Amino acid sequence: MKKWFVLFRKEWLEMSRNYKVIWIPLVFVLFGLLQPVTSYYMPEILKNASNLPKGAVIKIPIPSSGEVLAQTLGQFNQMGILVLVLAFMGIVSSEQRSGMMKAILVKPVGYSSYITAKWMSAVLLSGGAIFLGMLASWYYTILLIGDFPFMDIVKGISLYFIWILFLITFTVFLSSFLKSSGLVAAFTLLLSILLTLLTPLLKKWMEWSPAQLTNAAASLFTAGKIEGPFLIPLITTVILTALFLYLAGTRKSSLSRLG
Amino acid sequence: MISQINWALVAPIIAIQVILMIIALVDLFKTEKTNGPKWMWVLIILFINILGPILYFVIGKKHA
Repeated sequence: MKKWFVLFRKEWLEMSRNYKVIWIPLVFVLFGLLQPVTSYYMPEILKNASNLPKGAVIKIPIPSSGEVLAQTLGQFNQMGILVLVLAFMGIVSSEQRSGMMKAILVKPVGYSSYITAKWMSAVLLSGGAIFLGMLASWYYTILLIGDFPFMDIVKGISLYFIWILFLITFTVFLSSFLKSSGLVAAFTLLLSILLTLLTPLLKKWMEWSPAQLTNAAASLFTAGKIEGPFLIPLITTVILTALFLYLAGTRKSSLSRLG
Repeated sequence: MISQINWALVAPIIAIQVILMIIALVDLFKTEKTNGPKWMWVLIILFINILGPILYFVIGKKHA
């Protein structure tokens, strides 16, 4: 356990050295702040940006606070996932290429603790970033649009975070498996896009889909309660996450491909 | 239009962008190699709104 914490601390040291600890949360806070502000100023932005004929009337109702928060979630689901996957795509594979991994594993540390330390730090950082971003969005939504219960925010973020947890785990899994960081990002993004696109299209067959968790969180924001399947996707997501983490942690043969 | 904007509201957004810009520039000057010429990244970080620093962090750095 002590060795695991040494690896864990080394991971945080590295993430603060390349500023990931600062810029990833800041990006999420920025997107979180922008969403309520653009929703609030949207009528004005349209008035100034488009050259409509005189007398044209645009009436856009200001969305409810729950809708704005669901939009923020949608923003996180596109830009946020892109940023997280690109930031963590090389988490194992780049160390494998640079020889760092070999240097660490000659010491008496297990391959699985090496992977789980990396996984844990990536999960904690992205979880913190999403939480801070949603909190910032919640604060601005309250200021500009209207009140929203704090507990619903916490519940929504927790649900959404499980989907992110799944994607981060998949990134770490692929990164320990593939040599090219670019391929890791491409496959993970493909998976996330396919799941988010197919889930609403094939509702009947995709009830298990981890992407349902995003919909559950969004419906919690807009309707105040979770609509649609929730327990089945939660269970499959947790199982898949555990499976990918296990597979990532037990792949010792990747060492042989080093040379 | 400008006078209607509540600056207290927009100031944190601008502040975060400036911080991101500064971190990206500091990192850029510290690293030896980037993907593509350094002066190009300086321009991207400074002049592409919001996305410039993010682009540098995710694809500008050589992950080695």
